[in-house]
Order: sequence, then structure tokens, then C-alpha cells
Amino acid sequence: MSVQKSHRGAATLLMAPFFALFLGTLVVPIGYAAYLSLFTERSSGLGFGGTETLFTGLGNYLHALGDPAFRAGFGVIAGYVLGYIPVMVGGALVLALLLDSTLARAKRFFQLTLYLPHAVPGIIAAIIWLYLYTPGLSPVVAAMREGGLTWNFLSSDHALSSVINISLWEWVGYNVVIFYAALQAIPREVVEAASVDGAGELRTALSIKLPMIQAAVVMTVLFTVIGALQLFTEPMILNGANPAVNTTWTPNMYAYDAAFRRGDYGVAAAASILLALVAALLSFVVTRIGNRKGAA
Amino acid sequence: MRHKIRTRLGAIGALAALGLVAACGGGGASGGATGSSGPTEITFWTWTKGSAEVVDAFNALHTDVTVKFEQIPSGAAGGYTKMTNAIKAGNAPDVLNIEYPVLPDYVSQGSLADLTPHVGELKSKFPDQIRALTELGGKTWAVPLDASPMVLYYRKDFFDANGITPPKTWDDYKAAAAKVKQADPKARIGTFFPDDPGHFASLAWQAGGKWFGTSGDSWNVSIDDPKSKEVADYWQGLVSDDLVRVQSAFSQEWNASVKAGETVAYVGASWGAGSALRANQPDQAGKWAVAPIPNWGTPASGMYGGSTFAVTKDSKKVEAAVKFISWMTTNEQAITTRIGIAKSTMYPAAADMVPVAAKSFDNSFFGGQDAYSVYKDAAGTIKNGWTWGPSMFATNSTLKDSFGTVTSGGTLTDALGKAQKSTVDELKKRGLNVS
Repeated sequence: MSVQKSHRGAATLLMAPFFALFLGTLVVPIGYAAYLSLFTERSSGLGFGGTETLFTGLGNYLHALGDPAFRAGFGVIAGYVLGYIPVMVGGALVLALLLDSTLARAKRFFQLTLYLPHAVPGIIAAIIWLYLYTPGLSPVVAAMREGGLTWNFLSSDHALSSVINISLWEWVGYNVVIFYAALQAIPREVVEAASVDGAGELRTALSIKLPMIQAAVVMTVLFTVIGALQLFTEPMILNGANPAVNTTWTPNMYAYDAAFRRGDYGVAAAASILLALVAALLSFVVTRIGNRKGAA
Repeated sequence: MRHKIRTRLGAIGALAALGLVAACGGGGASGGATGSSGPTEITFWTWTKGSAEVVDAFNALHTDVTVKFEQIPSGAAGGYTKMTNAIKAGNAPDVLNIEYPVLPDYVSQGSLADLTPHVGELKSKFPDQIRALTELGGKTWAVPLDASPMVLYYRKDFFDANGITPPKTWDDYKAAAAKVKQADPKARIGTFFPDDPGHFASLAWQAGGKWFGTSGDSWNVSIDDPKSKEVADYWQGLVSDDLVRVQSAFSQEWNASVKAGETVAYVGASWGAGSALRANQPDQAGKWAVAPIPNWGTPASGMYGGSTFAVTKDSKKVEAAVKFISWMTTNEQAITTRIGIAKSTMYPAAADMVPVAAKSFDNSFFGGQDAYSVYKDAAGTIKNGWTWGPSMFATNSTLKDSFGTVTSGGTLTDALGKAQKSTVDELKKRGLNVS
């Protein structure tokens, strides 16, 4: 009895920091955002008499949903996900399988090198890439032009691909490490049995290894989709340079624009809550699909 | 319901203010600049060139007020966001740098202190036209630092070598643009800045456009008025004919093309020489010259940017703050420091300070040309009657987004139409009267 009690005390003590942070940095801010989202600021006449704060119910939510710029943000995210996920997951899988194959040399070196870009903070990466994209400054663009290839990374037609490229650079290596770890967890006797049965490297990779790391792949896709909804840093940096990347290009940028440019914290809070709801819904759906596939 | 949120923000503000008072170490006398218990410390945020030096000079001369200076990024680069957040959070500095276009935004958000009782005599030092931009709803909210008349900066060596004369009218400008391109296929006469609607606004102002006005208690909005559309069509033509570059204002890209001699002129304000050209292109000293901005038939100018200083609503030291602002904007030593030592090229709003500025200016960048006499002429032609609206952040956001599409099928005239609509919507959403 008393042993149990002291266990409980220890558990509470050890978990307290987590719950304190969880409350302070997640629950309270979400609650505050929900509260803010119900109010709006109103002036009158010419507006030079200051503002008053009024309760508006769901008014801010309706405003955000009715704003084509906010809805367009979700379209951009959809395009981004469609372009980004296949290349990212495909590329990471190929690299991880290559690393895991018996043919690979200098595995540690490649693991580290592939992972390195992820260690660079997103904002720094975006600034470096902006430099590499800018004609007249970038050695890459200059070299491409020398080689007869004119590609303007900053033209409005290439907005999405330029953002996807930055994301790929940042994330492929990270996911290679995840997939590689999952591959390493496959019992060696299974792989050996396959090769004894006459399966080559390619056959083993496709028929044995891939199905066995399906859970890791599904989890990566889930995290990537949720991450995509929060797309902010890279387009924010490209905002000034690429005309197609406007100030409300993604839902997060819309919220930022509402709060910090238009000074409308109510709409910003409402847009953020809506975004959080979409993310929650999407996680639920993706997990369900993932589970069903796993069970089948 | 609205009281709840207000009290809460108020409480946060009060706490922050207490913190500030406590932090000013013995300066107990809040509000009184002449307290005998030590100097009043005020805080000051700005990005205007030379402010650090001006603050140092002020602190060296004054024992009753000490200024704590903090450099912030320029407004468009995040400075305004920082300021807005600080005001919202109740920990804003006492003195802020606010450009004319967004002063009405800050006033209508209730962020600033009413300076009317403190600036009686000071007001008379500024020309009516510029003072009018700081008086909204019958009260004075800020003190002007500079007027920002527009001029044409050009590479005299390039123009002379190719027999091109500085254009007098916008028609001449177009012709000169073609000659520049002909003389050197890689060179262009200038730049359209899609990310900087303030630049376009100043050109619309010059042409006689009038984006905002008030009649009685309501706003008139006419961002797509005929004059502004003419300006839009004109620049649309230059962009379509590939006679000007399309680059972000003050971007690395723009700097690189100026450096490489591929952009050989720049339509900018007085401050542009110090902040944009001379600071970044020291190796082009002596090669640049200043000419009046091209016009539509008669010499005229708008104002591009330009700074005022305001005091935040929660400041407990308005009197000390105004004393400092007054010194910065109308004291001879402040102007000599800013222009002579810190190499700013701003054009003082206070008439008395113009000769002081002209005298302290080192004109070697312009090969000995007296740039301030060109600025002065331009300042004399600034068109009367322009008013900035109460939601320029929102208006500029829309303009910026649609100007961005100019190289991919969008038109500047459409952009004006969109900005007109979104601005009217925004004003209505805030509960303002729009007629």
C-alpha cells in the first residue's frame, strides 16, 4: 500500500515538468486563442477615437472562412503535399534501402552527411536557398545559365517547386535516418531466408523490407502532412522575392498577416483554431487509414 | 464582455509600466522631466539612419533626461510588427519611429499618446502641409523628422558617356529608358518595386491622385482614381516593354544590379541617397548625380516614406519624451550629427534646419553637386492635400500581393481596384464610416 503510494508520488513528481510545460505552452495558449477568437475591435466615425473590444461570437470564424485568401491557402497546401510527399518519401526510401543493402560502403559517413541539412535551422536554410535562387548572386543559377539551362527559381510559376525543393533538402536526410532505423530492426534471419530462397537485393528490398517498414512510412507521411499544414518559414522568406508567394500564401501566413500586419488578433486567432482543427481531423483520418492498412 | 479583455490587457500594461518605473533606478519622478531625484530615463525605438549618434549627442548634453536607444529593423522589414506587438503586450518604449503613411493606423488602434498639450510652440516650426499629416481628428499625434521629397538619382558617368540627358518629364523618362537599354542591353534606367506600394503611392501622389479624404465623419476612398490609374498604366508599359527591372526595394538583387552598373538610375526620396545608395555603393562615389524627379508637365513631387516620432499611449514620461523629440527634430546639433557624422541624407521637415542640413552634407558622393538644393526645390513642389488612410497596413498588403503578379499576367490597374475593394471592406469591418 505505502509502496504504491510512494510510487504514485514519484510518478507525479517526474511527470510534473511535462504537465507544467504542456499546460503553459499548449493548453493555455490554445485556450487564450479560442477566447481571443470570439472578440473583435471596433472603432467609429473616422476611427481616431481609439477602439473598443466587442464580443462577436463566431463572426471571426465566418470572416476567415469567407475570405478567399484563407481558403486559397489550403489549396496551396494541397498542391504542396501532392508535389512534396511522393518525392520526399520515395527519395528517402530509395536512399535508406541503398544504405541498408549489402552493397553499401561508408554507411556511417553517408548517414551523417544525409542528416546534416536537417541540423540547419529552417530559417537559415531558407535564407541560404534564397541566396542560391537569386539571379546575379547565385553561383548555382550562374552555373546553370553557363550550361544553357535558364530556370528562374523566383518566377511565379516556380513558387511551389522552389519551396518544395527547400523542404526536400531539409527533410529527406531526416527521414532516411528514420527509415534506415526501421530497416535495421528487421530480423536479419528474415532477410537471410529471402536470400537463401534465391531473392536478389532488389527483390528483397521490394517484397520483404518495404512491407516490413510500412508502419514507419505511414507515420512519416502523417507527420509530413501535419507539418505541411504549418508551412510558414520557407514561404515567409521567399515572400519578398517570389511574387507568387504572397502575404497570405499559406493558412499560417494568413494568421500572421491578420495579427501582425492588419492588427486583427480576433481573425488571426480564429484562423489558427481552424487550422488546428483541420490538422486534428487530418491526423485522425490518416491514422485510421494507416491502422486499417496495418491490420489488413 | 469587452471590459474583461480590456482590464486584463490593462493589468498587463500596468505591470509592465511598474517594471519600467522600477527599472529606471531612482528616477522616481514619472512624468516630470525636471525632477530633482536624477534623470528621467526614456526608451526609444527606431531604424532611421544616424539615430544612435543623435542619442549619444543628446545624452552627453542633457542631465535631466537620458535616452535608452534600441535599433530595430526598418518598418517593412519587421519593425512595425515588433512595435505593434510591444504596444499590444504593454511593454512598448516611450518614443517610436512611425512613417507618415501608417501614423493613422497607429492612431486609430489607440496606440499613441495625444501630444496636443505638449507641442504648442514646437508645431510652428514645421510647414503646414507636413504638420497636417501628423494631425488627425483635430489632435497632434507625432512630430515630423523629415519631409521626403522625391528626386531622380542617376549615374552621371553612364548618362554622359551615352549622350543621355536626365529626363524632365515621364515621357522623357520612357525615351531615356529606351536609350539606356540601347546603349547597354544589360542596363536599365530604373526599377518597379512590387513589394513597396509606398513607392507607387508617392508617384500617384505626384500625379495628383488622392487615395483618401474625409468628408465630415466619414472616409472617402479612391485608390483607383483616374490619376493613379494613369500612373499604373504608365509603369505597366515600362514593365511590359522591359524598360525597367522588377525587383524588391533595397533587396540584395537590387543592390547587386546597381553595383554591377546594370541599374543606372533610381527614383527615390531624399533619404534614399544615404540609406540605399551611398551606404551600399561606396565605390561608385563621384559617379552619381541628382536631378528633379520627372513630372507630368509641371514640376511636382509626392512624399516617399518620411519619419515622425510619436509617444506611446502607456508612456508615463510624455513630457521628457517630447523634450527629446523636439531636440531631435529641431536642434541644430541633432541635425549636424545625423547628417554630418552619421551620413544620413534626410531632408529636415523643420524649415530652419534645412540650411543646417545642407551645410553638414558631404557631397562627394555626388561629385560636389549640392544635392540639398535639388531636395529643397523638390520639397517646394510637394502636392498639397494628400491624406493617408487608417488602414495602410491592410491596403499595402493587398497592393503588394497584386503588384507581385505584374510579371506573370497581372496588371497594376487591377491591383488598384483590388486594393480599393479590400480597403473599403477593411474600414467597414472596423466600424468606420465610408462614403
